[in-house]
Amino acid sequence: MNYYEIIFYVFAVLTVVSAGVVVFSRNIIYSAFALLFTFTGVAGIYVLLNADFIAITQLLIYVGGIMILLIFGVMLTTNVTNVEITTQTLKALPATIVVAIVSALLVSTMVSTKWAVKDPISVESTTINQIGELLLTKYLLPFEIASIVLLIAMMGAAFLARKN
Amino acid sequence: MLTQQILDGLSKFYPETILSVTILVIVFVELFFKKKTRVSGWIAMAGLAAAMLFTFLQVNIPAQTIFFQMVAVDPFSYFFKVLLILSGFLIVLFTFLSDEIRSSEFKTQEYYALLIALTLGGFLMASSVNLLMMYLALELSSLSSYVLAGYFKKSNRSSEAALKYVIYGGVSSGLMLFGISLIYGICGSLDMFAISAYLSANPVNLITLLIAIFLMLAGFGYKISAVPFHFWTPDVYEGSPMPVTALLSVSSKAAGFAMLIRFFLVAFQNAGHPTITTEGLHQYITLPGLHWPEVIAVIAVATMTLGNVVAIWQDNLKRLLAYSSIAQAGYMLLAFVVVSPQGISAMLTYLAVYLFMNLGAFFAAILISNKYKTENIEEMKGIGYRSPLLCVSMAVFMLSLSGIPMTAGFIGKFYIFSALINNGYIWLAIIGLMNSVVSLYYYIKILKNMFLIRPQGDTGAVSFGAGYSVLLLALAIPTIVLGIFFGPLTKFAEYSVQIFGLK
Repeated sequence: MNYYEIIFYVFAVLTVVSAGVVVFSRNIIYSAFALLFTFTGVAGIYVLLNADFIAITQLLIYVGGIMILLIFGVMLTTNVTNVEITTQTLKALPATIVVAIVSALLVSTMVSTKWAVKDPISVESTTINQIGELLLTKYLLPFEIASIVLLIAMMGAAFLARKN
Repeated sequence: MLTQQILDGLSKFYPETILSVTILVIVFVELFFKKKTRVSGWIAMAGLAAAMLFTFLQVNIPAQTIFFQMVAVDPFSYFFKVLLILSGFLIVLFTFLSDEIRSSEFKTQEYYALLIALTLGGFLMASSVNLLMMYLALELSSLSSYVLAGYFKKSNRSSEAALKYVIYGGVSSGLMLFGISLIYGICGSLDMFAISAYLSANPVNLITLLIAIFLMLAGFGYKISAVPFHFWTPDVYEGSPMPVTALLSVSSKAAGFAMLIRFFLVAFQNAGHPTITTEGLHQYITLPGLHWPEVIAVIAVATMTLGNVVAIWQDNLKRLLAYSSIAQAGYMLLAFVVVSPQGISAMLTYLAVYLFMNLGAFFAAILISNKYKTENIEEMKGIGYRSPLLCVSMAVFMLSLSGIPMTAGFIGKFYIFSALINNGYIWLAIIGLMNSVVSLYYYIKILKNMFLIRPQGDTGAVSFGAGYSVLLLALAIPTIVLGIFFGPLTKFAEYSVQIFGLK
């Protein structure tokens, strides 16, 4: 085992274990905090995959922005409504069967499929330049449409949230 | 070189550009009005009209892809653009004439902007040839429809509808995204033509591909409300404002079908080029061992049977129309099982006809709820004597939806069933016919209540303004005329499925 693999397994275990806590914890605040570690673990894996820009955005936006908002949201609303928010399991047996079948199917396809693997290329020290270039050339249209999608989402959220 | 390519793309992207600008103009202009105003509605109409004009200018453009193979400008997308603009236009008029919206205290600025955004999303869904672009277009149209469904914030039903819609929509678009990622993993590309080229040149694991197709179908199925992704439909249709329901049942369904057809034909069927089989039929080649038409056949039969059987028990007109629209999606999917240009053009013909008859039925329902304050079928007893024009038009729409001859609906069904029989799917045609017979029961039930039972209590005539009558006739007359002069429409549909955006 080289250093690369050790680091990979550290992040992988962090991601999977904290994701487990998100799902299995009865207290929603624990779940929200565990999600923080899941996102951090994923960011670490991005770094290992040489996707530096995505790793940074993962940290800044998910860990730094969305997660903090989520935790604040959870903590503030539990006190307002006086209803204790807990999670519970409904219909455990059918759910277990379905999940077992689906995960068996997915694992078997993951192992048996011949995935399209790109030839190794020499990687430059940063990917930000290439991403910037692609966003304004090949992916110009999706980039622009994404801005309209965000505008509509923002307008809609503002409309639904404000008092008339 | 790059700039040239982008500028060239822009010059073929005017309709979409105009719609985007319209959204911004509506948001900006409404800032200057404190009270409710119709100005934004007129701006929306102007924007749609301008987009229509520039779409018409594209009629003879050779089929091609623009913006580095992101979207296609071809006869197929042209057909859907015309359909979507027509439907958007009618929905703006419905909104003007709906008491429900007029009496609500909300300003309408977001309403029209979201309506245009939904149309823009539909445009892009119909023309995307790249899975990334397709997903973004789907999200654009879904996000705007979530908000539109919950437009009456103070009504619990409307909020419930919006919440259900968001949850179902979120799950299905997540599943679809997973499907897209599997396809990217197999083929190493998001471009539909590249996927098609890869699949025809390399052996792939068909089981993985089939799983990906199932996951993708979750996204498509939710948009066209096919079984088993239909659960949101009745509640959302019942809870949303009526014009929004009409919009969801036509525009977003048509766009969903466009996306479904293009994805399957281009990615899995030899890039959408039909070949002639030994029996002389035009057919698209399916990968050996990949049984997606069979999957579609099962979904189609389940969809129309469930829609029709459950519709029988409905008393609420909006819920009934919701189940009826599920059943109609089933008929259209039937034609897709025949993977041939004949089947696809039958689908397109049916969609165009469906636009008039379904929007007509919803408009009639809006007028009934305006004047009689009811959505319950049992309370519509004898209203045929009180508002003859309205109820005769309703009769036309109902008969057309059930597929009685001399109406447009018959032509649509006729083309679908003849495509099925020509290609040897006689059993499917029989199941479809049996379903049409079942559907006749609940469509006629409405007419029975309207005409065969004398009104009780107040029997005075209830009439409408001229504007209402004109719009009602503008929907009813095409429903009859297209049942007799259907040549141009079917020619247009056949022309539209010839090429799928490849240079």
